[in-house]
Amino acid sequence: MTSWRPTPALVRACLLALGGIAGGIVLGQEVLVVLAAPFVVLAAVGLASRPRQAPRVVARLDHHRLHEGQGTTSRLEVDDLTGVEHVTRVGTRTAHVATSPTYGAAGSLVADGLPGLEFSPRRWGRRSVGAERVALTSAWAGWRCGPLDLPESGLVVLPQRAPYDSRAEVPQPDGLVGRHRSRRVGSGTELEGIRPFVAGDRLKRITWPVSLRTGELHVVTTRAEQDAGVWLVVDGLRDLGVSGGIDGAASTLDLTVRAAAALAEHHVRTGDRVGLLVVAADGSRVPLGSGPRHLQRLHGTLARVRSGARGTAPERLDLGAGTGSVVHVLSPMLFTPLVTATASLQRRGASVVVIDTLGGALDAPEGADRLALPALAARMRRIERDDRLRRLAELGTPVVPWRGARTLDTVLQQLARRERVPKVRT
Amino acid sequence: MRALRPGVTVPVVVLRALLLVLPCAALALALPQVPHGWVVIGVVLSAAAWAWLPDHAVGVVPLVLVGGWWAVHDVVDWRVLAVGALLVAAHVCATLASYGPSTLAVDPRLARVWLARGALALVPLPVTWLAVRGLDPGLAPSWLWLVAAATTVGLLLVTARLVRPEAR
Repeated sequence: MTSWRPTPALVRACLLALGGIAGGIVLGQEVLVVLAAPFVVLAAVGLASRPRQAPRVVARLDHHRLHEGQGTTSRLEVDDLTGVEHVTRVGTRTAHVATSPTYGAAGSLVADGLPGLEFSPRRWGRRSVGAERVALTSAWAGWRCGPLDLPESGLVVLPQRAPYDSRAEVPQPDGLVGRHRSRRVGSGTELEGIRPFVAGDRLKRITWPVSLRTGELHVVTTRAEQDAGVWLVVDGLRDLGVSGGIDGAASTLDLTVRAAAALAEHHVRTGDRVGLLVVAADGSRVPLGSGPRHLQRLHGTLARVRSGARGTAPERLDLGAGTGSVVHVLSPMLFTPLVTATASLQRRGASVVVIDTLGGALDAPEGADRLALPALAARMRRIERDDRLRRLAELGTPVVPWRGARTLDTVLQQLARRERVPKVRT
Repeated sequence: MRALRPGVTVPVVVLRALLLVLPCAALALALPQVPHGWVVIGVVLSAAAWAWLPDHAVGVVPLVLVGGWWAVHDVVDWRVLAVGALLVAAHVCATLASYGPSTLAVDPRLARVWLARGALALVPLPVTWLAVRGLDPGLAPSWLWLVAAATTVGLLLVTARLVRPEAR
């Protein structure tokens, strides 16, 4: 425990006061006494204001789980503020975390309340915030307790709730109940047709106008409404580009994770079952599920995605999914094995959509020499990637760049139409 | 080009500038008499160091140099009052600046509190000045000096006891 120690201001005042008086008496220098007189007051009051107890200081974060751009406050708790006049807090700066005050230094008189530090993470992931030094100062700045080093706290930063909405149907709904119009006739609300009444039909389905006109009982048939299994495959093998958080440029992994979070939120809110496969060095897999708790689990898993040089692209994407699932592969598609795995998934009967999350990661910066080696390498890499995507599209897998809301509408509608066409599988 | 380091506000710079200026101004009051070159250099350098590190013990050096120079020259006119006020102002500025790092903004309420405290500390200054000018030390009884010396020693001991760090 740190005890109270005299401040340099008190030591200075004491030295000047006592030195001046002693010098004045011993040397007979009256001017020294005159000049020392104010410091006698400052020294005496400063000495007398010594607090008795060394306080216990703890800092607590209001929240430990936030979305990008949200904010939380670190509040200070001091068990005994007797004799404490001023509190100073200096927080360490953390990458991708905005702090208020901007440079992490806050101070206030105890009478005005203890100073708070506000943190706002600007990028998803795990962040450590709250490491700080705290100093308590007594009245007349005579005594100081600290600086005390307070430990940091972990903050799980979930991807931003990007605005995403889609009105397109999922191509192959295969569940029991849900919002998507099924190809099968069932007890939904979407009109499928009118047919003659047969034994077993519900009486409330009889359409009386048609029955009276034709002289024969007719019933309205509707389409069943089903939920869908949606798999999100997140490519966390590499992170290209510079991440400036939500306020700046987005790296490939930023785009991938935010797009996956937006899709997961959209589908879970629609009532679909959503699964997640993270392709990375320490990849993870979340089975299909639905509901708000499952969405939290998906977002938490996305917040833990870390790219690393050790990660290698898999030869096969093992989703354990049936042929009826829709698979969104979110990737900049820079690795041939991942492209191959995506193509084989398509061949196994899944409706696969590749969401291109390269963004501007391979674009040359403004004013850069286009013939410089890095620019040439980036262009070659882009050409190779575009060729892979072209071949993937030839196999029937649509590739769309992520553009936020309604990115997938057209593609999903085309897929839904294609699924209705009879086909022969060999 | 930025004139200030990131995070450093203008009031903080003003406070630190005052730490450099005030001791120098207290010495400059001696003009047209020019202090010895080493005294001037010592005051300017130590005041600059104090402005750079307001929470450092070096702050006592410019105050001692200035006060010592005025004591040696035994000037008891109105300028001593001004010198005393300038030294107290420098002390208060250093105290205000030492509440945190340079990125800590100056709290206006704290500044007002210290302005009042500085004014309070200045109260004994004219009293002692008047006493020094009006009273003849030769008329004081001899025991008065003994009592004053004993009181000073007692204050020294009490201060030393109070500022001693506590055993852990």
